This record gives sequence, C-alpha cells and structure tokens, in this order.
Amino acid sequence: MWTFGRKIAAGFTLAFLLLLGIGAVSYRSITTLTSTSQLVTHTHRVLEHIAEVLSLLKDAETGQRGYIISGDEAFLEPYQVGTSTVHTVVKELRELTSDNPNQQKRIDEAEPLIAAKLAELKQTIDLRRKANLEETMKIVRSGEGKKYMDNLRMILAQMEREERDLLKQRADEVESASSGAKSTIIYGTAFCLVFVMAAGFFITRSLSGQIGAAVRHVQSSSAELQSAANQQASGAKESSTAMNEITTTISELLATSRQIAESARRVAHVAEETSSAARSGDTTVQKSHESVNSIKRQVDLIVTHMLDLGKKSQQIGGILEIINELAEQTNILAINATIEASGAGDAGKRFAVVADEIRKLADRVGGSTKEIRALIEEIRAAVNTTVMATESGSKAVDLGARQFVEVTAALKQITELLGTTTAAAREIELSTKQQATAVEQVNVAVSNVAKAAKETEVSSGQTLQTAGQLAGLSRDLTRLIQATASA
Amino acid sequence: MTSLSPIATKVAELRRVFDQERAAPSSPGAQEQAENLLAIRVSRDAYAIKVSEISGLATGRKIVAFPSPISELLGMASIRGALVPVYSLAELLGYSAEAGQVRWLALCGTGEPFALAFSDFEGYVRVPRAHLYSAGQKAATRTFVTHVARATSVVRAVVSIPLIREAIQERCGNSSVPKER
Repeated sequence: MWTFGRKIAAGFTLAFLLLLGIGAVSYRSITTLTSTSQLVTHTHRVLEHIAEVLSLLKDAETGQRGYIISGDEAFLEPYQVGTSTVHTVVKELRELTSDNPNQQKRIDEAEPLIAAKLAELKQTIDLRRKANLEETMKIVRSGEGKKYMDNLRMILAQMEREERDLLKQRADEVESASSGAKSTIIYGTAFCLVFVMAAGFFITRSLSGQIGAAVRHVQSSSAELQSAANQQASGAKESSTAMNEITTTISELLATSRQIAESARRVAHVAEETSSAARSGDTTVQKSHESVNSIKRQVDLIVTHMLDLGKKSQQIGGILEIINELAEQTNILAINATIEASGAGDAGKRFAVVADEIRKLADRVGGSTKEIRALIEEIRAAVNTTVMATESGSKAVDLGARQFVEVTAALKQITELLGTTTAAAREIELSTKQQATAVEQVNVAVSNVAKAAKETEVSSGQTLQTAGQLAGLSRDLTRLIQATASA
Repeated sequence: MTSLSPIATKVAELRRVFDQERAAPSSPGAQEQAENLLAIRVSRDAYAIKVSEISGLATGRKIVAFPSPISELLGMASIRGALVPVYSLAELLGYSAEAGQVRWLALCGTGEPFALAFSDFEGYVRVPRAHLYSAGQKAATRTFVTHVARATSVVRAVVSIPLIREAIQERCGNSSVPKER
C-alpha cells in the first residue's frame, strides 16, 4: 500500500513532469519565437537600411538638384548628410546581411553604382560652383545619374523583395511557433489540470478516508492522552505530596536515627561502665562468698552451741521435774504432818506449826518450780526457736553460699553479656550511623524524586495542555476533512 | 546474768518469807480462827476438803479394782501399809466417771478408813472461818456440801467427809461403822 507521501510525491512528480514537458515545449516555442522575432527584427533593420540607403541617395540627389538650381550652398546640406552617411549605412547593411550571400552579391553590385552616383553628384556640384551651369546641366541631361539611380533602385528593390520574402517566411515561422506554443500550453495545461484534479480527487479521497480514520484515532488517542495526562497530573500531584510527606518522614527518621546512634553510644558507654561494675561486683561477691562461708561456720557453731543449750535446758527440766516431784512429796508430807499434828492435840500443835512451815515452803518451792519450769520452757522454746532460726539461717547461708556461686556465675555471664552488649551497641551505633548516612542519601534522592515529581506535575500540565491542543487540532482537522469531503 | 536476777530475787524472797515466818511469834488464836482446806478440782469444778476431816493425803498409788455393786467404788489401794477402799469423789458428787487418771487420794478415817479419789489437787489453803458460808440443800450435787468457802478469789464448795461416810455406809448397809470426825 502506498503511503501518503508516496501518493502525494507520485502525484506531484507526474504533475511536475507534465509541467516540465509543457514548460519545455513552451520554452522551445518561445525560444523559436524569440529567435524568429529577432530575425524578423533583423529583417526589418535590413529593410530600414535598404530604404535609408535609397533615401540618402535621394537626399543627396535632392541637395544636388537644389544647389544646381539655386546655387545656394544651403541646399547642399542633404547632399552632405547623404554622402557622409551612405557608406556607413551600406557598411552596416553589408554586416547585417553577412549571412546572406545573395544580398552580399547585390551589395557588391550596388556599391559601384553608389560610388558612381556620388561621383556624378559631386561632379555636377563642383561644376555648379564653378558657375558652369551649362556644363552641369549637360551632365544632368545626359541621364547618367538617372541610370545609376535606376539600377540602384532595381538592386535595392531586389534586396527589399528578398527581405520581404524572408520576413514573410519568418512571420510564418513565428506564427507556427506561437501556434504550437499556444497549443502546447492550452492542451498541456488542460491535461495537467485534469490530471491534477484527478490526482487531487483521488489523493483527497484517499487521504480523507485514511486521515479521517487517523484523525478519529488521534481524537480518541488525544482524549485518552488527556485523561491519562489528567491522571498523571493528579498522580504527579499526589506523588509530589507523598514525596513531601516522605521527605518529612525521612527527616524525622534521620533525626530518630541520630538519636538512636547517640543512645547506642550511651548504651555502649553504660555497658562498659556496667561491665566494670560487674567485674568489681564479682570481686566483691568473691569476698562476700568468703565472708558467707565464715558466717556459715559461725552459724554451724552457734547451732551446735544452741543444741547443747537445748540439751542442757532439757536436763534442767528433768532436774526441775525431780525438784517439783520432791516439792510435791514434801507438800504431801507436810499436809499429812499437819493432819497428824492436829490429831495429836496440844502436843502436836508446835509440830503442826513446823509442818505448816514445811508445807508452805514446799508450796513456794512448787510455785517457784512452776515459774522455773515456765522459764525453762520459755528458754527451751527460745532455744528451739533460735535453733530453728539458726538452722534456717544456716540453710539460708547455705542457700546464700550456693546463690553466691550462682551470682558469681551470673556476674561472669553478665560481664560476658555486657561485652557482647557493648559490641552489639557499637555495631548498632555504627549501623545506625551508616543508616543515618543512607537515610541522608535517601533524603537527597527523595528530594530529587520530589523535584522530579514536581516537574512531572508541571510536565503533566503541559501534556494536558498539549493533549487539549491536540484534541482541538484533531477537531479542526476533522472539520477540515468533513468540509473537504462535503465539498 | 540479768535473766537470772529474777530467780535470785525469788530465792531471796523465799528466804525472807521463811525467815520472817520463823521469826514471827506463833498466834494460837489465829490458828483456831482459820480453817485449813485442800483445794481440789472435780470435773473442772472447784471443791475443797477440810483438812480436819481427813487423815491423810496420798498420790500415785495403784488402785486395784474388784467387782462391786457399788459403782462409786474404784477398788482397793495400799496406803500406809493398809488396804483401803477407794471411792470416786466425782461419782459420789453425781458427776460421771472422770476420764483421766485419778492420782490423788484423800484418806478418811482411821478405824475403817476409806479413800476418796480425785484428779486434781490445787493446793493447801487456809481460809478464815468467817469466809465459810453455810450452803443450802438444793441441788443433788450439793448433797455432800455443807459450806462454801472463798479462797484466793475462788468460791469453792466444801465437801463434807462425814456426810460422804454416811452415804457410803448406807450404800454398804453397814450401820455399824463408827462415826468419826
């Protein structure tokens, strides 16, 4: 399928070739016409020169006759002009007819006649000046001069006829050339016009169909482009807004990263101090462990002593039971003694008093024994409590000692972990600094992207405007095509 | 040493009281104006026995039980080389039999002695006779109580040993048992 350019180029090429042909033919006709016109002009100049030669000779003859008749020198002016000019004109005539041998031959024939005529004129004039009128008239009447003139007239007439024949022939040639040029121009122009119209019709019809479809496609595409440009503009605006928000967020992130780096540095510093404190604590715990072991030994000793004390208090309790039993028996004996004494009448009264004293003493001993028992019980309870507390303390000390071992291990682990924490915090600090640098780069990139989004927004506006213009152009083009189609 | 000082003080107090009572002159009137009582507990109730109505006090004696129609008779015990019937004072006073061991025995009478068993002996108290009040015959548990005494802020029912003896004699059908103090 031929493209628009090819079709148009083919149409214009054919039209150009036709115009070129017409132009060439016209140029050739005009050139022929021009050259023929120049030849016609040349012929007219030759005719003028022939006529001028005859006229100059006539003028010279007229001047000669006037002078002869009047004797006045004033009548010699035409003669002088003719004699002075005729040779120049003949010379020019010879040059003008240099391409015509017939005319050259006639000029060769005419020149002696002219010279003879001029000589005859000069002779007569000279004679008149000498006042020899008769002689002069005699020469005139001899008809010598007339014969020269007649011969010249005949020769010049021949030359004129030939020139007239040439003129007619050239006029026919001019007519033929102009007629050919006219025909070429008229028919060529008509043919070219028909061809251009046909080509225009076909190209227009073809272009209207294809361009119309293309324009409709362009219209729909421009509408889609407009819509897309709208979307792109709104998207670019949203992107620009989002980029601004991202820029703000990244700035905050950058500040946060710097804070994290600072915090990580402080954490590393604190971890180092804590590690130092943990090592110091390890030493302290070792010392405390030794102290706890010493306390444990002392507590074990205390427990032993307290157990001894408990046993002793139990022994005291046993002895106290014996004392209590003795006091009770004494009391019973005293009561029985009192009873017996009261049965003994007056003799037993003094014994009754003694027995009463013994009973009171036994009562007091019993009461004291109860108090002592209570005290012993309190002591035993206190001892038991102390023993239990001491055993609890011993167990607590044991537990503490074991826990000290665990604390030592834990402190060692804490120290190791703190080392790891310090390294990790330094890595975090380094990573966070790198992250901050990366975030700065991202910030710059995002700023560039925001700028690009802004430019995209502007470009989208321009695209939108261009799409609008394109839609308008396609509408105009559609109108043009429809108008063309309707025309 | 500070914890022992109250004991030393107590010892000094005991010594002082003993010396003081030994040093003080005896006052027979005061002895006659007072009544010596044994403070006892029967089924947690406070009772008293007049020392003048018993002939002895014993403890920790083995009581050998034997079949008897008298429910209050616990058995026989050896006191001062003689076999003595032992009666439950609680049952005589109308209580049910005491759950715990009755380790105290009050020996009553000399000719046909018998012993009253009770579980708790609280002490020997001397009560002015003015603090002895006559008790009415109203309740069954008060059959053998003739007086009540206020001793050491406790009011105690004073058990009459002669009434108990009479009751035992009635139950045994032995009217030939001589009356004793």
